[in-house]
Amino acid sequence: MRVSLEWLAEYVDLVKSPQELADLLTGSGTAVDGIEVLGGEYEAFIVGRVVDVSSHPGADRLTVCRVDLGGEVADIVCGAPNVRVGAVSPVALPGAKLPDGSVISETSIRGVTSRGMLLSERELGISEEAAGIMLLEEGAQAGDKLVDALGMRDTVLELEITPNRPDCLSMMGIAREVAALTGEKTRWPRCELREEGCPAEHDVRVEIVDGDLCSRYAARVIDRLEMGNSPWWMRRRLRAAGIRPISNVVDVTNYVMLELGQPLHAFDYDLVREGHIIVRRAASGERITTLDGVERSLTTEDLLICDPGGPIALAGVMGGEHTEVGEGTTKVLLESAHFDPANTMRTARTHELPSEASYRFERGVDPGGCVRAADRAAYLMQELGRGVVEPGVVDVRARVIRPIRLELRVKHAAGLIGISLRGEDVAALLRSIALDVLEIKEDGDETTIGVEAPTFRPDLVREIDLVEEVARLYGYDRIPATLPRSSHNVGHLTQEQKTRREIAGVMAGIGLHEAITLAFISQRWLDTLDPERKYLPSELASLRNPISVETAIMRPSLLPGMLEAVGFNLNRRMTDIHLFEIGRVFRPLRGDKLPAEPLMLGCALAGRWLPKQWDREEEEVDFFTCKGILERLLQSLHITDWDLRRERMPFLHPARSCAVGIGGADAGYLGMIHPRVAAEASLPENIAVLELDMARLTSVAQSLIPYQEIPRYPSIQMDLAMVVAEEVDSQDVEGVIREVGGDLLRDVRLFDLYRGRQLGVSEKSLAYSLSFYAMDRTLRDEEARSVYDDIVSALAQRCGARLRA
Amino acid sequence: MISRKLREEIDADPELGVIYREAQTALESAADPGDIESVRVSFLGRKGRLSALLQGIKDLSPEERRRVGRLGNNLKTWLENSLEKKGDMLRRQELEGTLAGERLDITLPGRYMPFGTRHLLSRIIEEIEDIFIGMGYRVVEGPEVELDYYNFEALNTPDWHPSKSLSDTFYVNVPDGEHSDVLLRTHTSPVQIRVMEKTPPPLYVIAPGKAYRHDVPDATHSPMFHQVEGLAVDEGITLGDLKGTLEHFAKRMFGDDRLVRFRPHFFPFTEPSAEVDVSCNICGGTGCRVCSGTGWLEILGSGMVDPNVFEYVGYDSEAISGFAFGMGVERIALLKYGVPDIRYFFDNDLRLLGQY
Ligand SMILES: [Zn+2]
Repeated sequence: MRVSLEWLAEYVDLVKSPQELADLLTGSGTAVDGIEVLGGEYEAFIVGRVVDVSSHPGADRLTVCRVDLGGEVADIVCGAPNVRVGAVSPVALPGAKLPDGSVISETSIRGVTSRGMLLSERELGISEEAAGIMLLEEGAQAGDKLVDALGMRDTVLELEITPNRPDCLSMMGIAREVAALTGEKTRWPRCELREEGCPAEHDVRVEIVDGDLCSRYAARVIDRLEMGNSPWWMRRRLRAAGIRPISNVVDVTNYVMLELGQPLHAFDYDLVREGHIIVRRAASGERITTLDGVERSLTTEDLLICDPGGPIALAGVMGGEHTEVGEGTTKVLLESAHFDPANTMRTARTHELPSEASYRFERGVDPGGCVRAADRAAYLMQELGRGVVEPGVVDVRARVIRPIRLELRVKHAAGLIGISLRGEDVAALLRSIALDVLEIKEDGDETTIGVEAPTFRPDLVREIDLVEEVARLYGYDRIPATLPRSSHNVGHLTQEQKTRREIAGVMAGIGLHEAITLAFISQRWLDTLDPERKYLPSELASLRNPISVETAIMRPSLLPGMLEAVGFNLNRRMTDIHLFEIGRVFRPLRGDKLPAEPLMLGCALAGRWLPKQWDREEEEVDFFTCKGILERLLQSLHITDWDLRRERMPFLHPARSCAVGIGGADAGYLGMIHPRVAAEASLPENIAVLELDMARLTSVAQSLIPYQEIPRYPSIQMDLAMVVAEEVDSQDVEGVIREVGGDLLRDVRLFDLYRGRQLGVSEKSLAYSLSFYAMDRTLRDEEARSVYDDIVSALAQRCGARLRA
Repeated sequence: MISRKLREEIDADPELGVIYREAQTALESAADPGDIESVRVSFLGRKGRLSALLQGIKDLSPEERRRVGRLGNNLKTWLENSLEKKGDMLRRQELEGTLAGERLDITLPGRYMPFGTRHLLSRIIEEIEDIFIGMGYRVVEGPEVELDYYNFEALNTPDWHPSKSLSDTFYVNVPDGEHSDVLLRTHTSPVQIRVMEKTPPPLYVIAPGKAYRHDVPDATHSPMFHQVEGLAVDEGITLGDLKGTLEHFAKRMFGDDRLVRFRPHFFPFTEPSAEVDVSCNICGGTGCRVCSGTGWLEILGSGMVDPNVFEYVGYDSEAISGFAFGMGVERIALLKYGVPDIRYFFDNDLRLLGQY
């Protein structure tokens, strides 16, 4: 909310500088987002008095004015129809810059030199009024600075009002806060009604049908109004608050809303049939054309103000076009009501009609303040619109909302805040914000304060609400900073959390960059990756209200996000992409509202693993790069119980892919993406991916590694090259070697794979380096040789292998 | 080394003295390992001068034999040591000379080592975790797809609250029937409720994780973002404890020289509530564009757990009290590292990822 300090000073003496005031307000919970100094843009203008007007010799529509600028007189050419001798008006002299950016200079207009410009309100940028020059009210002296003559020097505080403080959406509410913070007193605005004529209750009948949505409806009638502009001071204040002035009657309703926080509506009385107001829910499909000219279809959720002929306003949100106050209006029915917050919010949102009025009703206006606001607005219409206020207020209450009585235990409050407090001090703090302290009860060492919370503070309903008031008024900055004294708290990560951190560290250490991708994906990805839904779940969690169809599905896999990240980087000419991500995926569960959210590790590699260097060839990413990463990760986690299985994954290359098992259970997959997926996603084919269930990794990972004896006797190294058929897997060969090698064979490492002329067409040679040793003695060559021979014959038997010549 | 007294004795002997002085001169002038070898041969070789002299002592009187034998053997030891020392030195010099003749272009790039990084947000989350672990907190988690009950209701947020609307909160369709109360959590606060439901006080936990809001992405909004929630419930927890805890956190996170400010604020599930600001590091508190001229940067929201929330989880708010806080990880990253646009965190542009 924008608060003009010039205006605020009507209700409370401002004894602090704007900055000090801002700090006090911020420190008490009303955050000041900005301080705006007004008037500076008008510094260049002065007040001029027209002392002579003659017609322009060369142009019919123009006049040449002699303008007294306070000592100096200048000729100014003017085209405004309302220029006359004695007019006092703003003047821009050569050099002055107008709000639209143009700079005034001395110019010759059809042969007459004009030394400046008489300004309209539009040229000054203070309204749309462009029909003539702005005429200043009495008191403005020729030669004065315009800012001073118009009282435009002002400071506006931009306040952030929290939703629990609807009372602060008014100048009076802010004045109360300022008074409490500075020890000053608030003043009520003038309200001296001269009621006359027929009593209002003869002219108006109010009937509340749906009292659950409207607890109170007060109406006043003001007759014989003269519609026109509001005085400058009111227009200036409205503008400082960010509201556009319209006409005296409408401006008064807005002004009093800003002043007291009570939204008001003025109906043209003569257009309200039979002067009969009916407050009721709309019938389904009922229609109203609101002030903005839009015809709206209503539901039974909407509350209406009606007359016997039908709807005349959408309660608390916007008036109807039919009863709008206009130039011809002479009699006004002024509404000051209390509407239900939640319902007003629903209606304003449904019809997309947020307004200053609905905003206040949504948060809760003071049900006790309706009549006072109606009186104040009637008074201003009486003064500014020369209206006659009919005697009495028609005040109908569907129910009475009474002030709430509350008790505050001083010790409890002090204990929660962490300070010591005396009952008297607490009472003083509560009194300072207009709470009625009813009693201070002393019972042993317990002091209890009974208060009555005013109806403008709907947020004060529990003891804790009073604790908050005490804390903020005491001042958060005065509360000593302490730490909990408990000895119960011992901080640590669980083993699983530690392992997760380790996994991320290993992946980064291997040379991958951690990515974080959005958790929602496009349906298109699912159709690309798994068109027949063989691998991914057939039913997924989706968003009912996605921002776009591109982000409508909760990801069942990290793969789409990883591939998008690869594409993003390729599009920006980065070619070697090594990414990993740790994040949750979403898999609906039968019979459960919430999906399972397994945490996954994903990895995507594209381009080269190692770039070409000055003495080395480059190394393209392939299946085995990814497998190497998997092996390195498992090694770091001391996971030995794992295996790869050939299994078709619809999004992976059918030959260059596999499923990964860890600890005997499915853990994910590894492989090159399917060329079809690459084509559909406009990606290169050479992308290796890996996705693993983090829970498999963390549950099987070994954190406690038992000591293994370090061999003390020398080992014997032997190489073994075997020729096998192409379809024999190296893993099977190695399995036989290890099995037969037994305890003496300590290490097996494949160091060469050969296919070629020296072998048959579908043969390959696998060369292993074997390492033999015993823990308890120096192994003899013959012992190793004998195991070696056993291996060779077992391989011949079980794998159809022969020793390579 | 040879003692001074011994040296004088050797020096005074007509024969040993000459050998000693000549050996010294020969050692000094030796310029390479070959010279050392010749010196050794000429004095200590089978026919060397010192060897010859020592062989001749058997012809001397017993008294003289003992004297010359003692002095001669000392001289021999001294010469052997000196030869070895000087020889080592000359061999070292020779090796250095050979190696120094090679030339390597040390400005060629080193062998390429794959380089990986953690995501900035992960790093910050771990940094936050570690600060709170140090203050005795455990790290807990909750689901990202949540029930209205945990995300709103039990956090004291009324049913008509605007944040529950379709334009603020993502609602989730699950295959298992129609539910209007399944949503993407809009904050990490529901973890508070889940933890308190399961665990009796005392409780000191933080809950990092993703949260979601129906925001069209721009420089300061992302539909997915990260938060860290904190909760401490115990006997006698005060607003002052909240202040001390978060002040400690802010100084660890942003630096000891930063000022920390607590402002009253409003949140549905805490009361009294506070927003926490740190002094702006860009302008040093005098006001700039980043801090909108206030000199302060808001970093988190917090407050004392509302008694209504305790009631939902069956805690007795007369017996215990607690505080809770929640902070946006992206915001902290924006402030601490000066990343200008929240969307950058989820683009996964290697040129950004590689910076951290
Ligand atoms: Zn700053």
